[in-house]
Amino acid sequence: MKLEVPIMFLSVVLPILISLFFPMIKSKRLLMVLSTLLLLIPLAVVSWLSFITGLRGPALDPVVLSNPTLGNFSMLLDAVSAPVAISIGLVTSMISIYSLRYMEHRFEEMEREGHRPASWGVYFMLYVMFSAAMMGTVLSTNLVEFYLFLEVSLLPSFLLIAFYGYGRRERIALLYLIWTHVGALAFLVGVLLLGLNAGTFDFYNPIREAANLGLGELLPEAMRLPIFLAILIGLFVKMAVFGVHIWLPYAHAEAPTPVSALLSPNLIGIAGYALIRIAYVLFPSEFEVAASYLLGLALLTIIYGGLMALAQDDFKRFLAYSSVSQMGYLLMGIASITSLGMAGALLHYAAHAVGKALLFATAGVLITQLHGLRSIGRMGGLASRMPLTAALALIGFMHITGVPPSLGLWSEILIIAGVADFSMRIGQFLTVIALLLVGIGLSTAYSFVTMRRIFFGKESEAAEHASEAGYDLLGPMILIAAMGLLLFLLPQLLIDPMVSSLRMLLG
Amino acid sequence: MYAMLTWSVPFVGAVLSLVLNRAGKVRDVVAVLAILASALFSTLTLMEFLSSGKPIHVSYEWVSSLGISLGVYVDSLSAYMSLIVAWLSFLIAAYSLKYMEGDPGLTRYWFFFDFFVGSMLLLVLADNMIAMFLGWEGTGLASYALIGHWYRDEEERCVGDIGRKALGVPMWFTPSQSGLRAIVFTRLGDVGFIAGIGVLYYLSHTFSLPAISERVAEWSGPLAERGLLFPFLLIFSLGAFAKSAQFPFHEWLVTAMTGPTSVSALIHAATMVKAGVYFLLRFSPIFVLAAQEVPAAEQQVRTFFTAVSLIGAFTAFMMASQALVSRELKLILAFSTASQLGYMFLAIGSAGLIAEFPSGFIAGFSHLMSHAIFKASLFLVAGAVIHAVHSRFIDEMGGLWNYMRWSFLAMSLAALSLMGVPPFMGFWTKDSVLEVAKESGVLIPFSLAVVTAGLTAFYSTRMVLRTFVIKREHHHEHHEAHPLMLLPYLALALISLALGAAWPLYGPELMSGMSLSVLGMHEHFHPEVHLDLELLALSLTVVFAGILVAGLLYLTERGRATDLRGPLSAIHSFLYDRWFINAVYYRTIVAGFSWLSRGVFKYFDSAVIDSLYHRLIPWLISALSTLGFKYFETEVVDETYHERVVRGFTSIGSFVRRIQTGLINQYLAIFILGLMLVLLIALWVG
Repeated sequence: MKLEVPIMFLSVVLPILISLFFPMIKSKRLLMVLSTLLLLIPLAVVSWLSFITGLRGPALDPVVLSNPTLGNFSMLLDAVSAPVAISIGLVTSMISIYSLRYMEHRFEEMEREGHRPASWGVYFMLYVMFSAAMMGTVLSTNLVEFYLFLEVSLLPSFLLIAFYGYGRRERIALLYLIWTHVGALAFLVGVLLLGLNAGTFDFYNPIREAANLGLGELLPEAMRLPIFLAILIGLFVKMAVFGVHIWLPYAHAEAPTPVSALLSPNLIGIAGYALIRIAYVLFPSEFEVAASYLLGLALLTIIYGGLMALAQDDFKRFLAYSSVSQMGYLLMGIASITSLGMAGALLHYAAHAVGKALLFATAGVLITQLHGLRSIGRMGGLASRMPLTAALALIGFMHITGVPPSLGLWSEILIIAGVADFSMRIGQFLTVIALLLVGIGLSTAYSFVTMRRIFFGKESEAAEHASEAGYDLLGPMILIAAMGLLLFLLPQLLIDPMVSSLRMLLG
Repeated sequence: MYAMLTWSVPFVGAVLSLVLNRAGKVRDVVAVLAILASALFSTLTLMEFLSSGKPIHVSYEWVSSLGISLGVYVDSLSAYMSLIVAWLSFLIAAYSLKYMEGDPGLTRYWFFFDFFVGSMLLLVLADNMIAMFLGWEGTGLASYALIGHWYRDEEERCVGDIGRKALGVPMWFTPSQSGLRAIVFTRLGDVGFIAGIGVLYYLSHTFSLPAISERVAEWSGPLAERGLLFPFLLIFSLGAFAKSAQFPFHEWLVTAMTGPTSVSALIHAATMVKAGVYFLLRFSPIFVLAAQEVPAAEQQVRTFFTAVSLIGAFTAFMMASQALVSRELKLILAFSTASQLGYMFLAIGSAGLIAEFPSGFIAGFSHLMSHAIFKASLFLVAGAVIHAVHSRFIDEMGGLWNYMRWSFLAMSLAALSLMGVPPFMGFWTKDSVLEVAKESGVLIPFSLAVVTAGLTAFYSTRMVLRTFVIKREHHHEHHEAHPLMLLPYLALALISLALGAAWPLYGPELMSGMSLSVLGMHEHFHPEVHLDLELLALSLTVVFAGILVAGLLYLTERGRATDLRGPLSAIHSFLYDRWFINAVYYRTIVAGFSWLSRGVFKYFDSAVIDSLYHRLIPWLISALSTLGFKYFETEVVDETYHERVVRGFTSIGSFVRRIQTGLINQYLAIFILGLMLVLLIALWVG
C-alpha cells in the first residue's frame, strides 16, 4: 500500500524536531506527558498500518527524497520490520512514563553526590531523539537514510550516558561512542563502496515495491567479499557478538536505567534486523557461504554470554551480559537462512524487547526502592515484600528463556526449528544440538538462579526495609508485560505474514 | 468439542483465581470447580469417543502459515489419559481446599494449580506437536512455581537432613533451590524435544500428529539412511526422560518434595512426571510404524527401544534401592515414583522389542493409570500424616494407627497396590510389565525389574510399619484428618482395590477400550487377562520375601539404622546419599561451570579482551601517535582516542561541563540543521 502522505516519516521526524524545544519547558510532569505522547505517535502509526494492511503487503511512504546518486528515501513497514518497529514503539513510550519517577531518584542521588545534572528538558529531549531515531532506522529503505538515523540515535544515547550515567560515566560514554562509531564506520565504508559502485543506496526499492535482492552482485567480483565483511563486522560490533562485545557491559550497566532498557533490547537488536534487511538482501550468495560460520559464532556468543552472566554480581551488568547471549539467539536464527529461523529471530527481537525492558525496569525499581542497590549478592527474599515486582521480573525471565505463556516461547520454537533444519542440511545436527543443550541450559540456569538470588530464600538485610514501588514505575511495566502475554496468544498476527514474506525473500 | 473444554476450562479457572485475588474462599472454590468441570468434560469426551470408536479430531487454525492449530486429537490414549488426569486433579484440588487453608500465597497456589492441570490436559489432548510442547512447557513453569511455593525457605519446608553433606556437597534442599533444579533439569530435555520437532517439520513439513504418523516414511527414511535415526529418537525423547525423571535426569524429582504435599501428589500422580510416559506412549506406536515401513529403520528403532527399557529398568532399580533407607515419608514416595516410572519405561521399551507391540503398550499404559491412583492416595495420606505430627521424618511418626485409622487403612491398601499384592490393581499392571519385559528377551532389564519388585515390597512395608504401626515413646494426641482430606485418599485406595478385584471381569473390556484406536497403532489386539504361572510364582515369592524381611526387621525393633558398622554403614550412606549422583553432579557440572564462568570472566573477558581493547589498543595508538602517525586513524576516532590517551580524561569533564550549560539544544539543533544542509547539497549536486 502506498501512502499519500509520508506519515511514517513525519511520525519519526516531527517528534525529533519538537523535542528541540523541550529545554524551554520546566515542568517535568509536562515533559513526561509530552515525550510519551510524541513517542506514542510512531507506535500508533505503525500499529495502525500493520492493522489495515494485515502485514500482507508493504506499507510505503511516498518517496520523500529522490536523488540519482543516493537513491530514494522512503519508509517501509512490512512483516519484517513490523515486530521490530512495534517493539521499539511500545518500549520507548512505556519507559518514557517510567523515566519520571526513576529520574527523580537519579537526580536526587546526583545532587547528593554534589553533581549538577543537566535539566529535565535535556533529558526528555535526548530521550525522544534517541527513541524516534531508532524507529527511523528500522523503517528506512535506503542505506544512507539508515545510517543517518543510526547516527541521530547514537549521539543522544551517548549524551544520556554522559550526563546521567553511573560510575565513571564520562569515560564510559566515550567508550560507547567510540565503539559504536568503529562499528558504524566499518558499516559506512562498506555501504559507500557498495552504493557508489551499484549506483543506488536503496536496499528496498520503494517504486518497484521490492527488495533490491542481490544488489551486491553489481560489484566487481574482487570487491564483493570485503564489502560484505565490512558491513557484517559493522553490524557485529553494534550487536556485540562474541569478540566485540566488551563495550556492552560497560555501557548498558552504567547508563541510567531507563536508557539501559532501550539500549539493551532495542538498539543492539537493530543490527540483527539489519542483518536480514540489509546484509542478506544485498549479498544473498555470500551470506549463504558465511552461514555455517555465523551459526558457530552465534552458538559461541550464546554460551559465552551465558557463562559471563553467571559470573556477575552487579544486576545491571548481569543483564548486559545476558543481552550478549540473547543476541546470539538472534544471530542463530538468522544464520539458519530459513523462513522459520529468521522469523524466529525477528520475533525474538520483540520477545527480548519485552523481557529485557522488564528486567532493566526491575533493576531500576530495585535501585529506587533499595537505595541504589545493584549487588545481587546482597539481595534475597524480596518476593514477599515486592510480589508484583517479582512477578514482573519472572515474566521478564520467561520471555528471554522461552517459557509460556510468553512470546519468547514462540521465538524459541521458531529459531530452534530453523536451526534444526539448517544443521541437518550441513550435517552437523548432533554437534549443534549438543552446543544448544549447553547454551539453553546456561540461559535457563542464569535466569532462574538470579530470580532465586534476588527474590527468594531468606530475607536479606536489604529486604527488611523494602516495599513495593508505586504504579508510576510498575504501571508501564505491567503494560509491557501484558503486551508480551497478549502476543503469546496471538502470535499468528506476526508469524503468518513474516513467514510468508520471508519465504518469498528466501525463494 | 468437550475435549476442547476439558483443557481450556482449567486455564479459565487460573485466570479467575487471579481476578478473585481478594475473594478468599470463593476464589478457592472457583478454582476447584473449574477442575471439576474439566473432569466432567473429560468424561463426556471419553463417552463420545467410545460410542463412535473412532478418533475425534477437532482443529482450529492458529498459526496457519506453519499449520499450527489449536486442536484436539482424541483417541484411546488421550481419552483415558485426560480422564485420569482430570479426575485425580480434582480430588487433589478438593483435598487442597483443606490442606492449604490459611496459606498466605493461596492466589498464587490456585493460579499455578489450575494452570498446571490445564497445561497437562493440553499436552495430552493436543493434535499437533507445538500445542503439545506449549502444554509441556506450561507444566514446567507450574511445577517450578509450585515446588518453590514456600519460597522463603524455612527449615521445616526443606527436604533432606539439614547439615548433611556427601563428598562435601550439602544434601538438603530448600524450596527455592528445588524449584530451580526442577526447571533446569527438565528444560535440558526440552531442548531435545523441540529440536526433534524441528527436524520432523523439516523432513515432513508438518507439526500435526496424525500427519507425522501418516508420513512416517518421509521423515524416518532419510534419517535412517544417514544412520541418524537412533540418535534422533533419543534426542527427541530427551524431554520425556527428563520430565519423567529417568536416569540421568532423576535428581530433580527427589528434591521436588519441598512443595506442598498436594503439589507432590499432583506432580507424581496426574501431571508432570506422567507427561514423559505419555510422550512415549504417544510416539512409540509411530516409531514402531517407522520400523515396519522403512527397512533401514528397523535396527535403529530396536536399538532405541532397548535403550529405553535399559534406562527404565535401571532407574526402577536404583530409585527403589534409595527408598530402602530414606527417613522422610515423602521422600520414600518420591523414590518410589521414579522407580515406578522406570517400570513404565521398561514396559514401553520392551513393547518395541516384542512381536505384539500393543500388549506392551497396554502394560505401560495401564500401569500408568494404576500407579496414578495408588500414588495419589499415598501422597495425600502422607500429607495428612505430616500435618498431624508436624514432621516429615518417619522417625518421629509411628503408632499412628490408633489415632488415624481411616488413614491407616487408606495407606495400607494403597501400599499393597504399590507392592503388587493380588488382587490389587497394582498387582495386575505390574505383572503385565514384568511379563512383557520377560518376553522381550533382554535379560538385564527383566532381572532388575524382578529385584525391584522385592525392594518395592520391602520399602512399602517399612513405610507403613514405621508410620503407623511401631509404637513410639512419646504420646501426643493426634486426630484423624478432616473429611475433605480423608475422603479423596480413602476413595482412591478403595478404587485401587475394587478395580483390581474386578480386573479379571472388567480388565479385558477396559484394555480393549484403551487400545480401541491409538494413533499409529494398526495391529488388531484382543486383550485378555492371563497369568504366566512361572512368572507369577517368581514375582509373588520376591514380593512376599520383601514384605517378610521388612516385617521381621521392623516389628522386632532391629530396623533402626543407628548402630550400623563397617560395610553395612557404607552401603547405607551410599544409598542414603543417593548413590552420590547428586554430589557428583555438583562436583563436576555445577562446580565445573561456575569455575569456568568465573575463570573465563577473570582471565579472558577482563584480562584479555577488555585489556586488549581498552588498554593495549589505546596504548598502541598513543605510542604511534607520539611517533607522528596520526593519519592512521580517521578524524573521529583519532580525535577521541587522542583526547583519551594523550590528555587523559581530565579534559572531558570540562567538555561535558561546557555542553551542559544549556547550550546542548542549540548544539543539537545545529547538528540536525547541518544534516539537512548536507542532504540538500547532495541533492543539488546529484
